[in-house]
Amino acid sequence: MKVRVDSDLCQGHTLCAMNAPDRFALRDEDGHAYAVDEDVPAGQERPVREAARSCPEQAIVLS
Amino acid sequence: MTTDEAPVTDEERSRQTISLDRHSSRYRIEFEELSTEFHGKCPVAWNDTHGGYWFASGNKELFDIARRADVLSNDNDINGTKKGYRGISIPHVENQERRTRGGFLEMDPPEQRYYRQALNPYLSPAAVERWKPVIEEITRACLDEKIESGRIDFVDDLANIVPAVLTLALLGVPLKDWDVYCEPIHASVYTPPDSPDYPRIQQLQMLSGMRMMESIHEVRADPRPGLIHELVTCEINGYRPDDMEILGVVMLLIGGGFDTTTALTAHSLEWLSEHHDQRERLSREREALLDSATEEFLRFYTPAQGDGRTISQDCVINGTEFKEGDRLWLSWAMANRDEKVFEDPHTIHLDRKGNRHSSFGLGIHRCIGSNVARATFKIMLTQVLDRMPDFVCDPEGAVHYDTTGVINGMKHLPATFTPGQRLGAGLEETIERMQRVCDEQRLAEPVTVRKARAKLDS
Repeated sequence: MKVRVDSDLCQGHTLCAMNAPDRFALRDEDGHAYAVDEDVPAGQERPVREAARSCPEQAIVLS
Repeated sequence: MTTDEAPVTDEERSRQTISLDRHSSRYRIEFEELSTEFHGKCPVAWNDTHGGYWFASGNKELFDIARRADVLSNDNDINGTKKGYRGISIPHVENQERRTRGGFLEMDPPEQRYYRQALNPYLSPAAVERWKPVIEEITRACLDEKIESGRIDFVDDLANIVPAVLTLALLGVPLKDWDVYCEPIHASVYTPPDSPDYPRIQQLQMLSGMRMMESIHEVRADPRPGLIHELVTCEINGYRPDDMEILGVVMLLIGGGFDTTTALTAHSLEWLSEHHDQRERLSREREALLDSATEEFLRFYTPAQGDGRTISQDCVINGTEFKEGDRLWLSWAMANRDEKVFEDPHTIHLDRKGNRHSSFGLGIHRCIGSNVARATFKIMLTQVLDRMPDFVCDPEGAVHYDTTGVINGMKHLPATFTPGQRLGAGLEETIERMQRVCDEQRLAEPVTVRKARAKLDS
């Protein structure tokens, strides 16, 4: 599974990092999110899916 | 970019007309029934009160509209030099004394974007992380003031104070001034113009505005770090904002920083007092539950119930035909109760999953202080759970706002608990000490300048 954050949609709600702190990081200056690694390691799909589901802006793209 | 769908017919529109005064007790008392009714019948309705405006309550409908910055305007055209739009308050609040708009929440891009880019480094998660020892210490002092007595008012003695002191610290103005701003900020939200207390509140508001203007001048003359310093030095799309515009921004930050976090904290503590088993579970399993419980309290109580917008060009969204100049209310509160997205929406589930609530708004105007709010709320909540674990709120003494059309807040929430031991100095002494810590460590610098956490033993 691959994951990325659509930076045009992300507004810095931070729920992704709350749900999957190992897979999403927040930029110091504005808290907008990015995926630590595009490839989701085996076994970590569940928190990443939960992060995508929780995003108020629906800015997380899974593929 | 509008969707090409058939516009509604007149007959359909008449079915979609509602008559709901958000400032009536009906809105507050029948909130759940009204939400359910609207979601089923008219997730976007024409509300014929307050001059008529669109009312978006359905989660999907609100989501599709709120993020359309291309067809929405937040502008409050106070000088009448643009299109005459009237900002985010419905009904529009005429402010005769102070011709200010509500900071960048009543602006559109590009100016709005410049402001956010300037202020985000003071309010991001990394920026807020640095302040946690200070928030903990102010909270500790508030609880110490009451811990030996076994009685506290969670609004007056805790939730009004901590967000206020912290907000002033972020701004870079004297912390001891917190009570100059505290009462007018809260009271101006819950005091209607026909109240006998209204003139007094107006007077307090005017005094607090004057005091803040002095602080802005002081920062200009004698620079000290903080949000105000940023505002007096930043350039917004090629211009430097004047003092009135800066005052509008500062009052937005104070209004956003004070009343909303107070409202969330009070309601959550009231609910936990009524649900002892859930309170014990939250305290016991806080590592796993604190984040999800916080988001659930945010969803359920939605401190800022909604925001107004003006349609800036004719468009059709999900079949609703909007005309340029139409007013629109985005009901974050009702969208948070839509069963199509939230199972069992009118019940608090501390472990709720997929909780994509819109309590901080959606789109480019997302609450800039959301990270401050979460940190402050969590620290106040956990210290209460630790130090007053058996607190019981007094339902007779709890006072909710009469109308919740803007902020779903509480005026008072008295409680009793088994008395405990003080841990340190009182509030006044602690605020003085925190002032020294802020000054010596330059805590209010942006995170791009200073990354280290506050140290309290210095």
